[in-house]
Amino acid sequence: MSVGPGEAFALVVHRELRLSFRRPDQLLQPLVFFLIVTTLFPLGLSLQLSLLRDMAPGVLWVAALLSSLLSLDSLFKSDADDGTLEQLALCGQGLTVIVVAKTFAHWLVSGLALVLVSPLVGTALGIPGSVFATMMLSLALGTLTLSWLGAIGAGLTVGLKRGNVLLSLIVLPLAMPLLIFGAAATDRAISGVSASGALYFLAALCVFTCTLAPFAATAALHITLE
Amino acid sequence: MWTWFYKLASPPYVYGTAAALAPWFLGLAAVAIGYGLVDGLVFAPPDYQQGDAFRIIYVHVPSAWLSLFAYVGMAVAAAIALIWRIKMGHAVAAASAPIGASFTLLALVTGSLWGRPMWGTFWAWDPRLTSELILLFLYVGVMSLRAAFEDPARGDRAAALLALVGVVNVPIIHFSVVWWNSLHQGATVARFGKPTMVASMLWPLLSMALGFMLFYGAVLCMRLQGEVLTRERQARWVAEAIKS
Amino acid sequence: MGGGGNQIVSAGFWSMGGYAGYVWPCFAFAGVILGWNLWSARRYRAAAQLKARRALEAADTDRAAATAVVAIPRTAGEQA
Repeated sequence: MSVGPGEAFALVVHRELRLSFRRPDQLLQPLVFFLIVTTLFPLGLSLQLSLLRDMAPGVLWVAALLSSLLSLDSLFKSDADDGTLEQLALCGQGLTVIVVAKTFAHWLVSGLALVLVSPLVGTALGIPGSVFATMMLSLALGTLTLSWLGAIGAGLTVGLKRGNVLLSLIVLPLAMPLLIFGAAATDRAISGVSASGALYFLAALCVFTCTLAPFAATAALHITLE
Repeated sequence: MWTWFYKLASPPYVYGTAAALAPWFLGLAAVAIGYGLVDGLVFAPPDYQQGDAFRIIYVHVPSAWLSLFAYVGMAVAAAIALIWRIKMGHAVAAASAPIGASFTLLALVTGSLWGRPMWGTFWAWDPRLTSELILLFLYVGVMSLRAAFEDPARGDRAAALLALVGVVNVPIIHFSVVWWNSLHQGATVARFGKPTMVASMLWPLLSMALGFMLFYGAVLCMRLQGEVLTRERQARWVAEAIKS
Repeated sequence: MGGGGNQIVSAGFWSMGGYAGYVWPCFAFAGVILGWNLWSARRYRAAAQLKARRALEAADTDRAAATAVVAIPRTAGEQA
C-alpha cells in the first residue's frame, strides 16, 4: 500500500500529536517555563505596569525564545534514540516530508501553545488588549520560524551528549533577527505606530526559513544519523 | 580546465602549496602592515572631529573586514566540501575558524576602546559592534559543534552545514541590527561613523586591510598544513612531506 | 614627508592628542592577536607533524615486526 507525501505528512503529524498528548506534563513544562521566566522580570525590575509596559515586548519575546529552546530537544531525540528515525528515513517517503511533519507538529504543541497563552502573559506585563492581535501574530510567525531554526540545530546535535546547551548556542544567534522584529512589532503597536513593516519582515523571514530550512534540517539528520 | 580545481582536492598538493606559500604571504603581509602602520600613525593628519583617536581605525576596520572575509571563506570551503565531497574543503574551513574568531575579538576590543572617547562608554550597542558580537557567537557555535563529535569526519560535515546556514543569516542579522539601532538611536547620540577620509588617511587603511588579508593567508596556510596532516596521517606521501 | 622622522620623537606622537590610553592599547592588542595567530598555527602544525611522525614510526615498527614473525621459521639459525 503506497502512501503519497500528503498522506505521509498527515500520518506523521497525527502520530506526533498523539505521542505528545500521552505525556501532558512534557507538553505543559515549556509553557510553565514561559510563565515563570516572565515572572522573573517584574520581580527583578519593577512592579509598576507603566514601566513594565516599556519592557514588555522584549521580555515576552525573550521568554518565548527560551521556552521554545527547551522543547526543541525532544524534536528528534527520542526517535533517534530508539531507532524510529532511521526507520522513518528508510520508509521511502524521503526524510524531508517526515522532518516537515515532525517540525510542524512540534510547532503546534509548543509555538502555537505559546501564542495562545500570550494574552495572559501580556496582561501580566501591562500590554494593552488592543495590541494583542499584533502580538499574537508576531509570536505565531516568530515561533514557526524558530521551530525551523531549531529543527536545523536539533538535527545537527541529535545524539550528542549535552547537545542541549550546544543547541541553544547554535540557534540563539540565528534567532536574533526574529527577536528584533518581533519585539519591534509589538512595541510599535503599543506606541500606536503602524507595525506592518515589522510584521511584513517577520513574515518574509518566516517564508524564507520555512522554504529552505527543511532541506538544511534533512541534510543535518543525514550527517548525524548515517 | 578544471584540473587545477581537482588538484586542490589532493592532500599532498594542498600541503605542499601551503608550505610554499606561507612565507611569501607572511613577508608581503609584513611589508603592507609595516607601511600601513608608519603611514597611518605618523603621516596621516589627525581627524577634524576625533583627533588622533581616529587612528584606531587602522586596526579596527581591517580586523572587522577580515572577520567577515574569514567567515565567508570558511563557508565557501564548507560548501565545496559538502557539494563535491572534497575533504580538503573541511581542512580549510577548520583552519579558518579560529583565525576569523580571533580577529572578530580584535574588532570588538578595538571598537570598544574607540567608542570610549567617542561615546563616553565602552559599549553602546552600536550596530556594527553588535553585528560583530553576533558573528563571534556564530564562530564559537561552528567551532564548538565540530569539537563535539567523536567522529571527526561527522563533526566536519555538521560544522560545514552550520557554517552555510550561518553565512546565509549574516546579511539578515546585519540588516536587522542596523534597523534595530536606527529605531532606538536618540537624536542626541552622535553616530559613530567613519571620519570623512582624505586620501592620505585612506591609503594606510587599505594597506593595513591588505596586510591583514595576507597575514590571514599566511596563518591559514600554516594551520592548513596541520589540518591536512591530522586528516591524512596514515597516507604514504606524509612520510616524504614531514622529512622536509 | 619632510619632518617625518622628528614626528616620532616628539611627545605629540606618543600622547596621540591625549587619546594615548585608547590608541596604544588597541595597537598592542592587535599585536597580541597577530602574535597569537602565528604562535598557535606554528604549534598546531608542529604537533600534527609530531603525531604523523609517531604514527608512521609505529606503522613501520608493526611492519618490521610482522616480517620478522614471518621470517623466524626459516631463519631461526641466523637470527641475531
